[in-house]
Amino acid sequence: MEIAVLVKPVPDAETRLRPDPAGKGLDPEGVKWVLAGYDESAVEQALLLKESAPGTTVRAISYGPAVRADEVLRAAIALGCDRATSVEAPAGVADDPLVTAAALHLALSRFPASLVLCGKQTGDHESGLVGPAVAELLAVPEYGVAVNVRLDAGGAEMTLQQSVEGGLLRLRAKLPALVALQQAWNDPRTAKLPNILKSRKAPIDRVPAADVAAAVAARLPLATRRLAFRLPPPRTGAKMIEYKTPEEAAQKLVRILREKAKVFP
Amino acid sequence: MVDFALTSEQTSLRDMARKFARTEMAPHAAECDRAGRFPEEIYRKAWELGLMNLNVPTEFGGTGLSLFDQCLIVEELSHACAGMTTSIIANCLALEPILLGGTEEQKHRILDPFCAEYHLASFCLTEPSGGSDAGSLKTRARRDGDHYVLDGEKCFITNAPFASLYTVFATGDPSLRHKGISAFVVPRDTEGVLPGKEEEKMGHRASATSTVRFEGAKVPVENRLGAEGEGFSIAMRTLDQTRTPIGALATGIAQAALDHAADYSKRRQTFGKPISEHQAIQIKLADMAQAVHAARLLTWQAAWTIDHGDRGSLESAIAKCFSSDAAMRVADEAIQVFGGYGYMKEYPVEKLLRDAKLAQIYEGSNEIQRIVIARELLQRYA
Repeated sequence: MEIAVLVKPVPDAETRLRPDPAGKGLDPEGVKWVLAGYDESAVEQALLLKESAPGTTVRAISYGPAVRADEVLRAAIALGCDRATSVEAPAGVADDPLVTAAALHLALSRFPASLVLCGKQTGDHESGLVGPAVAELLAVPEYGVAVNVRLDAGGAEMTLQQSVEGGLLRLRAKLPALVALQQAWNDPRTAKLPNILKSRKAPIDRVPAADVAAAVAARLPLATRRLAFRLPPPRTGAKMIEYKTPEEAAQKLVRILREKAKVFP
Repeated sequence: MVDFALTSEQTSLRDMARKFARTEMAPHAAECDRAGRFPEEIYRKAWELGLMNLNVPTEFGGTGLSLFDQCLIVEELSHACAGMTTSIIANCLALEPILLGGTEEQKHRILDPFCAEYHLASFCLTEPSGGSDAGSLKTRARRDGDHYVLDGEKCFITNAPFASLYTVFATGDPSLRHKGISAFVVPRDTEGVLPGKEEEKMGHRASATSTVRFEGAKVPVENRLGAEGEGFSIAMRTLDQTRTPIGALATGIAQAALDHAADYSKRRQTFGKPISEHQAIQIKLADMAQAVHAARLLTWQAAWTIDHGDRGSLESAIAKCFSSDAAMRVADEAIQVFGGYGYMKEYPVEKLLRDAKLAQIYEGSNEIQRIVIARELLQRYA
């Protein structure tokens, strides 16, 4: 069976972010794009399923400027994905969850899969919209905040768990479907050095920008407009409370909260 | 055209090594240092991920990296723990004689099964009576029919208590000095191969070091590398290959020292402001940064030279000597930036000084490196 895993290039957590000159978006200059967090869990889930069901192939799909998308696709191949599709973002189209979903849907129409996996959200915008929107366009059910997907009945069904408030919900569901995974529940593996080397030479299928532009045209102009992009103000220094007993620490803290922070009347 | 930019492939290799160093090695560095523990579970994981036999070509089951790429990885690992790094890269040193002196048959017979599983190997050159003067080694190799009989003792051998394979340098006739030395591959399970007890070391305490005694150890002739008397040349050419990664290891220590010092200087306050705002500290950090930068570039250039087919004796000696001296200086200054805290074992910088010290001594002491540098230099003024 075919599994597709959707991966988004996001800025490396150690990258120093700054707004672009117009103050409306992230300045991409010097940003390192990585496969991160939730998507790593999705790739790991796909690989676990592949290992449990021989004959399964896993295709990683990424939407964005080709240089960024290729970077995370090669990372996914190094981890063990079999194939990769780079969905090239048309110039001048703003980053928007519904546009991304339309572009990924186009790719999935060319490279169909009975199970589509993705992170429940991405570490940059955290919108959590792309997965459900892709499911809507594919007209398949979407299961969010999922952990531990298992295939049953020769790949016709699956069982999965959803991490809900205070516990885990166990479900059985029919395929095709889209599953959005919780972060880091499955201890994502590290790519082996020889596989990293091989991944640099692996072929990547492409969905050209022109095709994407046509597919997303119906979504334009965007429902939302981005007005400004600013960094949070720098943190000011923490103030240490000196104390001898916990009671003294609590009293001093309450005094600060009341007199300086004006939290209490 | 000279190019100092890393390719995206090199960036991915470096990032992978960095991730391994931070998530698998760094959290255990202090504990292994304190206890003198050899964290075999970490070394096993390093092998699984292809971080261990970096210099062995893929056809024999290794990772097959250029020396430059090896250096990128070694610097990242050493940033987390130089001692663990020494144990991880010891296979490269021990296997290089096989790559340089072995026949295709020997390489496949020895390396294929060795690399296919987690195994450690040790390079056995130094003896109790001398390390730098390798030409006068005393371990004997007596030919007896279809095998050699080895007798003698090696010391300061990295990974020896845990190794399954030793590359051993021994002489058929000490009066021939370096011309009498041959190289042998000796499996651990050979009768008469006796690793000693682990040494208590000043630094690199996550690495294991011991003597290895050979008492009538029988080694088949087909385990001799190269011709009789070729051993010294194999040993020296091996060290030409492996000296440069020691420059990278030292650069990793120096970078770690700078990172710790710079980070601490922004948090520690004296006279009402962070010490990073005092010029006395800024000058220290600036000097440390220069040393780290120069160490890295010299190491890169030496690796580049060797990857381009040159023996690189001069360049690798400069890289190893400069980088390890720089690591000592930078670690020393990092302790000074930390002040009294830097002297305490609870903080990470005193370990760096202890670890840096070994880089000035092993794989050719820095005095030997300077002799090599002077010799190569003076030849050019003939």
